[in-house]
Amino acid sequence: MEEKVLNRGQQKVRSNVLDAGLCTGCGACINLCPYYQSYRGKTAVLFPCTIDEGRCFAYCPKIEVDLEELSQRLFGKPYDGSPLGSCQSVLMSKATDIIKGSKPQAGGTVSALMYYALKKGFIDGAVLMDRQGLLPVPHFVGDANDVLACSQSKYTAAPALAEVNQAVKDGYKNIGMVGTPCQVLSAAKMRMNPLMKEDFIDPFGLIIGLFCTWAIDYRLFEPFVIKKIDIDQIEKIDIPPPPAEILQIFGKNGEKLEIPLSEIRELVPKGCSYCVDMTSEFSDLSVGVMEGRPDMNTLIIRTDRARRLVYGAQEEGYLQVSEMPEENLEHLMWAAGNKKRKGLIKACDEGLINATEETNSYLKIRQDILNKLIA
Amino acid sequence: MASNQLVKDPFNVIITGVGGQGNVMASRILSNMLVQKGYFVTIGETFGASQRGGSVMSHIRISSHSTWSPQVPKGRAHIVVTLEPIEAIRVLANYGNEEVKVLTNTRPIYPAGVIAGESAYPAIEEIEATLKKLSHGVWLIDATEEAVKLGNPILGNIIMIGALSALGDLPVNRDDFNAVIRRTLPGDKVADNLKAFDMGAALLKN
Amino acid sequence: MSHLTDTKKDASYLVMGNEAIVRGAIEAGVNVASGYPGTPSSEIIESLSRVASERNLYVEWSVNEKVALEVAAAASFAQLRSLCAMKQNGVNVASDFLLHLVGSGTRGGFVLVTCDDPGALSSVNEGESRYFSRLMEIPLLEPGNFQEAKDMTKWAFELSEELKQIVVVRSVTRMSHASGNIRYGELPDIERKAEFKYSGFIFDPEEGVVISAPVDWKHQQQQAKVKRAMEIFENCPFNTYEGPDKPELLLITSSACYLYSKEAVNVLGIEDRVGILKLGTTWPLPPKLLAKNLSRTQKIMIVEEVLPFLEENVKILAAEMAAEIGVKTFYGKKDGTIPMTNELNPDLVISGLSKILGMEYVPVSAEYDQLAKLSAFVGAPARDQVFCPGCPHRASFLSIHNALELDGRKGFVCGDIGCYSMAVRPTGFETLKTLHSMGSGMGVASGFGKLGQFGMDQPILAVCGDSTFYHAVIPALVNAVHNKANITLVVLDNSGTAMTGFQPHPGLDYNVMGDEVPCIDVAKICSAIGARVEITDPFDLKGTREMLNNLIEDSNGVKVLIMRKACALSPQRKNKKDFEMRVDETICLGEECGCNRFCTRIFRCPGLVWNEKKKKAEIDQVICAGCGVCADICPQHAIVKEEVA
Repeated sequence: MEEKVLNRGQQKVRSNVLDAGLCTGCGACINLCPYYQSYRGKTAVLFPCTIDEGRCFAYCPKIEVDLEELSQRLFGKPYDGSPLGSCQSVLMSKATDIIKGSKPQAGGTVSALMYYALKKGFIDGAVLMDRQGLLPVPHFVGDANDVLACSQSKYTAAPALAEVNQAVKDGYKNIGMVGTPCQVLSAAKMRMNPLMKEDFIDPFGLIIGLFCTWAIDYRLFEPFVIKKIDIDQIEKIDIPPPPAEILQIFGKNGEKLEIPLSEIRELVPKGCSYCVDMTSEFSDLSVGVMEGRPDMNTLIIRTDRARRLVYGAQEEGYLQVSEMPEENLEHLMWAAGNKKRKGLIKACDEGLINATEETNSYLKIRQDILNKLIA
Repeated sequence: MASNQLVKDPFNVIITGVGGQGNVMASRILSNMLVQKGYFVTIGETFGASQRGGSVMSHIRISSHSTWSPQVPKGRAHIVVTLEPIEAIRVLANYGNEEVKVLTNTRPIYPAGVIAGESAYPAIEEIEATLKKLSHGVWLIDATEEAVKLGNPILGNIIMIGALSALGDLPVNRDDFNAVIRRTLPGDKVADNLKAFDMGAALLKN
Repeated sequence: MSHLTDTKKDASYLVMGNEAIVRGAIEAGVNVASGYPGTPSSEIIESLSRVASERNLYVEWSVNEKVALEVAAAASFAQLRSLCAMKQNGVNVASDFLLHLVGSGTRGGFVLVTCDDPGALSSVNEGESRYFSRLMEIPLLEPGNFQEAKDMTKWAFELSEELKQIVVVRSVTRMSHASGNIRYGELPDIERKAEFKYSGFIFDPEEGVVISAPVDWKHQQQQAKVKRAMEIFENCPFNTYEGPDKPELLLITSSACYLYSKEAVNVLGIEDRVGILKLGTTWPLPPKLLAKNLSRTQKIMIVEEVLPFLEENVKILAAEMAAEIGVKTFYGKKDGTIPMTNELNPDLVISGLSKILGMEYVPVSAEYDQLAKLSAFVGAPARDQVFCPGCPHRASFLSIHNALELDGRKGFVCGDIGCYSMAVRPTGFETLKTLHSMGSGMGVASGFGKLGQFGMDQPILAVCGDSTFYHAVIPALVNAVHNKANITLVVLDNSGTAMTGFQPHPGLDYNVMGDEVPCIDVAKICSAIGARVEITDPFDLKGTREMLNNLIEDSNGVKVLIMRKACALSPQRKNKKDFEMRVDETICLGEECGCNRFCTRIFRCPGLVWNEKKKKAEIDQVICAGCGVCADICPQHAIVKEEVA
């Protein structure tokens, strides 16, 4: 009997993820049932559920993520541990000014592609991030023009998958999503039909992954910032590329607040330190700010449907795409590899990888690859 | 003082149910029927917090000569009337004996733990079998269902009083009931209550 | 017309113990009655209020027991007869005034009726009020049956007037809430005029000032009254002995325990071996009467609820009179013959008697007993107390629970006494974490709210009911605001004193006599004290939860959220469904992922039942109150509500 209780799916999510501090608030367990809710950047369990292994358990990006299986199913090849994951090409890109009223941060590639995907019917809706004060709020949009309102960078975790779950519930079958690596990982798990339902349909038409080294815990960030600026008056938040080492907050009335990143790193949730993915490896395509070129994006194309989308957008004048300089690529690979190694070592040290006990299994990865990566 | 027509003195009736079923009123009406015939009656009951979905129990002690304690001693109930079937089993554990007679409404009111799936509620056939083993006689009546037909489920308690009167172990009849309700209830309720009483008596005889 | 005012002498009625007390007070010509609701005492003031106009009484539900005692005292000072009724906890509240009152003395007959609750049948303690009589040095009467409940109450007024001292009549739940037939006495037709005389000599008990000083002199007067009471009690007809002249065992008892003792002796058939001394006057004990009865035998058994009050007092007397009566062996609480917690019953007395007399008593065959116990264990699942169908507290605590879980900082709720005390149980989602006396949730929260300097960062909430708010929360609220405690008070305003049967309180515009009276607004009081005040309808789950989180996050001192919705049993809501509810079986998810029986497993309204065969939720139409809340908690919108036209 006791054994049974320990194996309850929700129990595991609670003890192995929430209580263990691994949760990044991606929202994969939200809007599925009455038991989970996201509030101010944190996921809360409201009541105990007795189902053995439900969707919360199946979708969680911190429970039994089998990298080999994901890679095989999404890209048709084994997981080899390369720093950027599976890629068809790595490019640099920039949005054109074809979309009126657009003022995206950095190169604008994400907004341009989502706008284009919606306009051309690649997807029938998209989950994007809006912002209320400091708090990112996932937002489902069905109209291309609504993409523009969500085009700014956010640096705190947000329950993007909650909105995906809602869209699925509402009957959408071809959903676009923009997400951080952990959010993209949940989406990837969802796409695998983890509960082996007979009538399963992959609900995603396009997943755009963002580069991410860490996020900020909203619950820590808000009280930190609130002393310095009126959070309802925030216009924009930015982390300029190195060597600036600062986070900038711009107010609507022209105020500008600069916070050293050393102070910000104190506000990073514990869960981020286990992350082995900088570039959202299980997306269709990934986008990041390009090192040394704040006006440009790095663009990684991983799937065929992503390639079709990017070239379509290029052809129709939404996006400028060009080759990535070798030097930048090398640096990107170094940074991504470094994050992967650090995350793996930490998770390994704490026994969270390839754990034999079911209770403690965050990642599953082929042993020879693991050995190579942490050597 | 009443001419003693009691089989036992004191004669002990226990009426139980769940808060909100009209348990207290049923015991009041029955007791008043006996008091107007000259009997000494003591009713011991718990209510207050117990009305919030808990078990409610009235102990009715009937005597031709004196006041008895508001609690029946263990194993000394003569008739158990319950407005909810498992409450009968609960009562018998403390107050039952081989000679006791049980009259129960069959309509379950599920305890919160049962609704929540933490405990199981026995099938009515099981309840009946258990009660038979623990008593001299069992009468099951779907009083709530009949009361709903009369337009108000609360009349289930009066149906049970009608059935109890028809059982014949207590020196009370329809006239006693009529006299009590005419004295204690608003005039517009008398007809329905009489109907419920008659229905209970008829159900017992079937 | 109430039977309580039947003028026919010797009329016989079946009455509840509390009604017997009321009839006794009416026969004594009571003029003023006050109290604060509390089970098992509430019917006393309620019944008196119903005959108020007919008998020209003034009856009030006071804001709390201390004020109730003060209100009734005023009537006594003005030479009227007055009665004050409360449950055991209430005497604690009133005790500060009581100590001063017994020093000053009283004028018109003044009776304090306390209803104790041995076994805590409807309380959160089984506190004893009898010790107050010894502590405060005032006479204590305990009726041993329903007739005595009436007769003693009437006599208590006369005794009080003779002694110029308040007299306590102590009842217990099994007396107050039990019923028996009694014979009425005559109703008086004396009209008393209220006048407070204060111009006499300072020491004049009739016309001087009413104060407890000079203390030494007044205290001597007070003790002289106790002595006088003792003399009167020596020949009081409420102290009776029945049994053989020289019994093997003398059983001394009082109150409902008298009935249990009589029954026990009858069941064992030992009327010729055991004598019962039933005491109606249990403080001060009459020594001569005790000496006479203690001399009957060597073995003494004392049967009482709950603590060994009578036992101790008898033992003291026995020690003082040892030379005269000889050495006795005592059986009771101290030696474990009778349990020292919980209420008693005939069986516990039977068991004590059998032990002392070396008898064997088997109520039913061991075979039957075993089968019956096993059947109940297997076939009668426990019936936990729950909030009623349609109760606003279920919705309120769901929101409080959810707000605290979402907040995630291990916040908690301090509570007190009311239906909402049940929130310690699953019916209230186990939200309440401390539970003490009236208003103490707020006081305790006020203290928690100052522990920040020691590292406490948990959000702190208090809950109270509307009646409790007036009773004892206001001083705690003042304290919290003044001392800058950072806490949130939730006032569960269900428009009445619901737990005890819907007595009006100062927040309503009518009183117990049906007069129109000004209502004292909770929100305005809180604002005036300096708290931020918000009001929500707890049936608006989303709005209420959001407001709660907003208040919990507001770290500027004391916040008050009034959750306003009338009780489902209130006159305005009882038997009135707002909605017809049904479950759409085709979309109910049942046990599947996405629901897992949220409505029946977690929300647990008695109006919702689980159909094990269909694996679907259902509405029990007989029980459902039609509040509509479950439609809003169903993740699948399978519970459908249709407005009742």
